[in-house]
Amino acid sequence: MSRAEELSRRLREELGNLVLDLETGTPGRLFIDVSKEALGKVAASLKNQGARYQAAVAYDARKTGQGFGLIHTFAFDRDSLLVAVRTFAPEDDPEFESITPLIPGAGWSEREYIDLLGLKFKNHPEPRRLVLSDDWPEGIHPLRRDVPHDLMPPAAEEVAFRLEKAPAGTSIIPFGPFHASLHEPAHFSVYVDGEDIKGCEYRGFMTHRGIEKLAQTELTYNEVPFVAERICGICGSVHSVNYAQAVEAAAGLKIPRRAEFIRTVMLEIERLHSHLLWLGVAGHLIGFDTVFMQSWRIREKIMWLAEKITGNRKTYGMVIIGGVRRDIERQRASEIRVVLTEVEKEMLALEKAILKDKAIHKRTKGVGHLSKEAAVSWNLVGPVARARGLAIDVRKDHPYAAYDEVDFEVVTADSCDVWGTLVVRVKEVYEAIRIINQCLDKLGRLPEHEPLSLVLEGPVPSGRQGLSVVEAPRGEAVHYVLTGDDNRPERWRVRAPTYAHLQAVPDMLLNNKLADFPIIVGQIDPCISCTDRVLVIKLGQGRAELLQKQELERISRSRRKER
Amino acid sequence: MWLWNKIKQLAISFRAGKVTLGYPFEPRPAPEGFRGQPVWDHTRCIGCAGCANHCPARTIFLRDICQEVRILLYDSSRCTYCGRCADLCPEKAITMSQNFELATDNRQDITQTIELFMMTCQRCGRCYDLEIKNYLDKLSSLGYRYDCLEVRKVIHRATADFSPDMLEKTSSYQRPDSLEK
Repeated sequence: MSRAEELSRRLREELGNLVLDLETGTPGRLFIDVSKEALGKVAASLKNQGARYQAAVAYDARKTGQGFGLIHTFAFDRDSLLVAVRTFAPEDDPEFESITPLIPGAGWSEREYIDLLGLKFKNHPEPRRLVLSDDWPEGIHPLRRDVPHDLMPPAAEEVAFRLEKAPAGTSIIPFGPFHASLHEPAHFSVYVDGEDIKGCEYRGFMTHRGIEKLAQTELTYNEVPFVAERICGICGSVHSVNYAQAVEAAAGLKIPRRAEFIRTVMLEIERLHSHLLWLGVAGHLIGFDTVFMQSWRIREKIMWLAEKITGNRKTYGMVIIGGVRRDIERQRASEIRVVLTEVEKEMLALEKAILKDKAIHKRTKGVGHLSKEAAVSWNLVGPVARARGLAIDVRKDHPYAAYDEVDFEVVTADSCDVWGTLVVRVKEVYEAIRIINQCLDKLGRLPEHEPLSLVLEGPVPSGRQGLSVVEAPRGEAVHYVLTGDDNRPERWRVRAPTYAHLQAVPDMLLNNKLADFPIIVGQIDPCISCTDRVLVIKLGQGRAELLQKQELERISRSRRKER
Repeated sequence: MWLWNKIKQLAISFRAGKVTLGYPFEPRPAPEGFRGQPVWDHTRCIGCAGCANHCPARTIFLRDICQEVRILLYDSSRCTYCGRCADLCPEKAITMSQNFELATDNRQDITQTIELFMMTCQRCGRCYDLEIKNYLDKLSSLGYRYDCLEVRKVIHRATADFSPDMLEKTSSYQRPDSLEK
């Protein structure tokens, strides 16, 4: 009996007729509909059976008279099974049971929907705003269908963060939203006792661009991959592949094998560039700029390679629903091999020169320690989890694209600190090179000059669910698509790896030195633009300390007039 | 050990030498297949609006300014150079050029406008291309559009249905000297 069947049987036994529907059509996926009362029990049952929590998806289903829908997704990594548990609450009483006391990693997802859809969660330990800014008007929930996608309420003047008070005996050091060690806007209010960090509060979501709302109101299915790619400047291809896979799964499409191999090659090229980028940034954050300069020099070869293959350094634009847009021909494949050989040689030399350097050891070993148990309870993913001895990798656990045909190793470390993350990411560079070489071998054996994408015979059927996961360089990215009418998704949800990681940062920072703050936050490779993808632009955050807002506006306006 | 590592690092840095390119003092041509500025070939364009209907960034606009003239306006300031327009053009009128040096302080420099001469369909009263061949019924376009060229905003399904009022208005239309205010 497969895991999905066993699980369905067990849930039916435990819950009886509280389980409304079970859908096991897609291999590796299980979509369950339960009644509202059973949500907590299902979550507890899944957690006891060893499921890893992924994300929550909520949507406005008032159009069909179902009120508001809430979906929690779970992964059984050893059994290649993803489970989505859906439930509905009526429009006039959109209250669900909170699963945060049970699964702390669900805290943000639930807070997100308190803001965006006006849902309520019973027993949520911290039901305050997460996504919307402090001056956003009460009662407007932007992801609801009746709120237009371009709504911009006027910003309130003079709004500062409503931050918590520092615990007794500590003082606050503010980091961000603009800070030399943070590359994207995020605010950490760090509590310190002397040099030691005793806690921190995080305020983020300052760069909302409304991508999910845009996709479900304005764009069409095949336009979304190009917008999805711009969720992140580093792992863009991950998001476009992930979205396309979710739609293909929902519509039941099987794309050409050649296209799957090309997607795999592009994902691994992206991983190479991302790992080298992170290595450089990590070196820079600990003040070791030789690493920064040299790893970015090696990385540049990958960027030029990507430019040759796809026509652009970074936003590859390769993916459309049903396949890919450009081929990797025999001649291009041999060019890729040449570059990879060079990169591997240079990387080996660099690794030998830096991994034994005492400076790196002293700055990374024992820093940002988080135990394996804590990593499990925070649902960490990717290299951050693998550095804590958890051998989870979506490419192995839930194979997608052509990963079922390639042979590679899941690199793990057990030092549970920044050093472990560094080792994992350096070793994964060689694994990525191995994967690309295998893909190119197999691509050479497939027939050329065949269509690289499917021609869709009819519209994508509406009301179908698709769940897809892709291993981004920094961890697992989850995309959920509920298909809709009008040639566009009814709901598209993106959960970037940083969304899971950031929730664990306060634990990682605890009892470390303040000087190690940048590298501890840096170890999760925080991608704020991935995390902050959902909604309407945030307005009027914070207060300028020296210049008042009006003053800044006056100066910038007079500048513009001078020109 | 520490010193030996530093020597190795020095060797790597010296071996790499100078990697910075002389750009912009030396040209750096883009590789073949690069997705640079899209260029429209007005002799090939049939005004089918395929590009405008599929542009993810909504940078291509169309408006029938009178019964015979359709204007296509491409505003590159928001373009993401994905190249979907070039892929979808049935007449291959769009090429993604090698040109990437597009920084300018005048939006007009990166705007392309094409005036297309169309013919009136006797059955529906809309205009269609008269020079090459009629692709309109083969294309499942979203319907006719009447985009606002002045503020560069897509107006959805504004003229999805033919309106006799619009025809009357356009019969006395004077072609403007320029589109930009």
